[in-house]
Amino acid sequence: MTTRTRAATFALAAAVACNQGLEPALAPTSCPQGFVGVCGTVSFVGQVPESTAKLFVVAFDTFPKSQNDLFKFKPQPSPPNLPLGGPPFFYTLLLPPGRYEWVLAVWQKQGTLSPANADSLLRETGFYSDKGDTTGHGSGIVIVNPGTGTDSIDFVVDFNTMHRVCFYFPPCP
Amino acid sequence: MPLKASSIAAVLALPCAAALGAQTAVVYGTVRDERGSPFQNANVVILGTPLGTLTNREGHYRLSGVPAGRIILSARFIGHVRAFDTLTVAAGDSAEADFTLRPSTLDNPLPFVVVGPVVVTAAKRSQLLDQAITSVAVVSDTELARRAVNTVDEAVDKAPGVQFLYGQVNIRGSTGYVQGLGSRVLMLVDGVPANQGDRGGINWDLVPLEDVQRVEIVKGAGSSLYGSAALGGVVNVLTRDIAPGFHARVRATGGSYANPPYDVWKFRDYTGAEEGLDATGSYGTELVRASVTGGGWHSDGYRQQDRRDHWQTAAKLDWRPLAATRLTASGSWASDQYETPLMWCTQGGCNDRGQAYQPFMIDTAGRGAFTRSDKGYVSATLERTASARLAWQARGSWLRTDFTDLQQGQDDFGVANRLGAELRGIARPADGRVVTVGAEIARSDVTTNIFTGDTSTTSTVVRTHTQSEFAAYGESEQMVGRARITAGARVDYIAVDGGGLSAVVSPRVGGVFATAHGAWRASVGRGFRAPSLAERFVSTTIPPFHVIPNPNLRPETAWSAELGKVTEVSSALRADAALFWTEAHDLIEPNVNLGTVQIQFRNVARARLAGLDVSLAASPLTPRLTTSLAYTFLYARGLAHDTVPERPLAFRPTHLVTLSADYQWHTVSAGGDFRYTSRFERVELYPGDERVAGKVLDLRVGVERGPLSLRGRLANALNYIYNQVPRTLAPVRTLSVTLTWTY
Repeated sequence: MTTRTRAATFALAAAVACNQGLEPALAPTSCPQGFVGVCGTVSFVGQVPESTAKLFVVAFDTFPKSQNDLFKFKPQPSPPNLPLGGPPFFYTLLLPPGRYEWVLAVWQKQGTLSPANADSLLRETGFYSDKGDTTGHGSGIVIVNPGTGTDSIDFVVDFNTMHRVCFYFPPCP
Repeated sequence: MPLKASSIAAVLALPCAAALGAQTAVVYGTVRDERGSPFQNANVVILGTPLGTLTNREGHYRLSGVPAGRIILSARFIGHVRAFDTLTVAAGDSAEADFTLRPSTLDNPLPFVVVGPVVVTAAKRSQLLDQAITSVAVVSDTELARRAVNTVDEAVDKAPGVQFLYGQVNIRGSTGYVQGLGSRVLMLVDGVPANQGDRGGINWDLVPLEDVQRVEIVKGAGSSLYGSAALGGVVNVLTRDIAPGFHARVRATGGSYANPPYDVWKFRDYTGAEEGLDATGSYGTELVRASVTGGGWHSDGYRQQDRRDHWQTAAKLDWRPLAATRLTASGSWASDQYETPLMWCTQGGCNDRGQAYQPFMIDTAGRGAFTRSDKGYVSATLERTASARLAWQARGSWLRTDFTDLQQGQDDFGVANRLGAELRGIARPADGRVVTVGAEIARSDVTTNIFTGDTSTTSTVVRTHTQSEFAAYGESEQMVGRARITAGARVDYIAVDGGGLSAVVSPRVGGVFATAHGAWRASVGRGFRAPSLAERFVSTTIPPFHVIPNPNLRPETAWSAELGKVTEVSSALRADAALFWTEAHDLIEPNVNLGTVQIQFRNVARARLAGLDVSLAASPLTPRLTTSLAYTFLYARGLAHDTVPERPLAFRPTHLVTLSADYQWHTVSAGGDFRYTSRFERVELYPGDERVAGKVLDLRVGVERGPLSLRGRLANALNYIYNQVPRTLAPVRTLSVTLTWTY
């Protein structure tokens, strides 16, 4: 093998050795190592409406006190989607460390969403609650610690029992 | 090189020599190889002037309107050593200068394509590259042909210090990624500004690649000559000169995209393909020359919802009615219809097959998104060399863009125009001094339902907005011993919707000091970018946020400094290195207000971009082999402001490395590029997503036989799967073959 051939072979081998791009990653079944946020399993009840745009999961550090607080959710700007039904689904929700009072799934109807039409396009469709909780909106306090994920934040998405925004902030028009 | 006095035969051969006028002369001659065979389309230019031409089939050239006095003539042809000749011509004279070009040998290696000897962008006039006070990279027609790409950005992408992020150009980290809005790099087509009138972005497919002669990339602030948008640099796309006689070229391209490397990522049951056809015809006489180009291409894309159709036509007219007078008119129109792939889907957003993400698929909610985009320009430039000491040019231009985004729940559209005019003079009042002065006006307007300035949430409102710009500039270069000192400034006045004028002053000083083995260069200048109409008046919804307008945005500004050295280390090695430093103020960024659920562009950020830019070009081992190495180290920090702490600027790599090599054996060539981009330290949107460095290897081969040229290209040969823009897959391995027939 000549010097040039060796050099070319070495260069090609080095280039190939560099090939460590993105690879398939199985959806996790528990919070991944190093992940900071909450994880859990969502189960589904009922049929998803035909007018569905998407279903997503969000968290509030304090329970909204008015409609104006509805968009102070995390993570911003685009929370992770949930599948539209099917078998139980393991979700991960990336959140900054802290205390969260409400982790819930939000159903969104087709259309252009804005704060003005949130009541007609958004529905609460399931949320996490502590065992024994009897409040209407749940009192699922979740603590997210630095450097680790909080597991088992499980809840049910019930397409048969979805609540408009005005359910929490009456009156409904 | 023989220089003969004009003879009776020459006068007979050039009957119009007597009509040249008292101040100019004619230079003519032949360009041949060592065996005496003529070169067709060899490029002959007079350095420091706009005068240049191509040889005809017999190898003859003729340059009229040559300023009396001492001139430097250059002739070059691909694969041969460039030749120079110095002549002194008298007014009304005719002079013959014949060239014999030698093929590249060990003693006379090919000119280094990354640092071609003459540029026209850095000082808004022709000058030797080593006389430019800022760093300039040149992508030659040889490189464009070798890479067998479809659009200009695909070829410019590998230039030293340049990086593209999903179509958005970065020169030394200037722009980052802001989804096509507000480029901090100015694009020119033959010196005419071509950034979009509404969004301020760049359409890289505006000019057919077939028509591009070379691309010059000026790094650092260039606002002292070019005004707004030249904050981080200038990219000038220079179209081909038209040769005398009849010429034609047909280029056919076909290719295919690699399928996903893992079955679990498979998204279709066929292999995606691309195909295209372009044809160019031209005819020229001594008086008038014209060319027409037309063509199109289709691509299935390499991911879901990524089909694209592109149609394009372009024309150019070159009229030389008088000696030393040249009128050039050109135009282009391109139409694209393409599916909009949006971001890739994550768990639950599509048929995820149990995966955390599917990089080849998009979210179900984004299916059906489609864009229609038309854009075009016309421009005319009148150039006149009035005397050996004075030349001037006037130009007018019209750029139009028209897009419609068809998406679920909303359709956005914008029709924008940018009209511009410029008058420029170049004077040489004394030996060793060059003065460039000019004035420029431009008017941009947009009629749209997304950049309306309306604060309601409906998209049924349609508004028109305008921005007017008035500018004057001047720059002087003075020889002082072996140094060339340059100083100049430009003042821009900007008015929006007929309101009051706001002024921006952009000074620049610099110098070049020639040494025995190269030259030192240094410069300090101020750049700015006026907010685009889109940033001022955008009004749309990005659920759940309402993006609201901010008509009071101010221009963002930056001071930019550079110290560089170009060195001829040996006859086979050339090195160029530059230290650069940029302090940016009032950078325009989207500000998210969770309380009001609104996003608004604001002047908020201060930033510092500093680093080192090094490029080496060499012919090691054998003159048949040309290699280059380019490395950019970038320290890009957003400085603390309000409650935001100091942090890395998003979408800027710390290390950018490009290795290139090409081997030529008779009519066969083979080569490749390897580009390494270090992992972004910070991104906006989805910072928790996995990020990897970019490592892309492109390979190419080519063979020429008579009028035919066949080139193969294997882009991303290792099928490296990566992304640089959030949840947007970068191109996978693509095999393409290009057949070109030239008459």
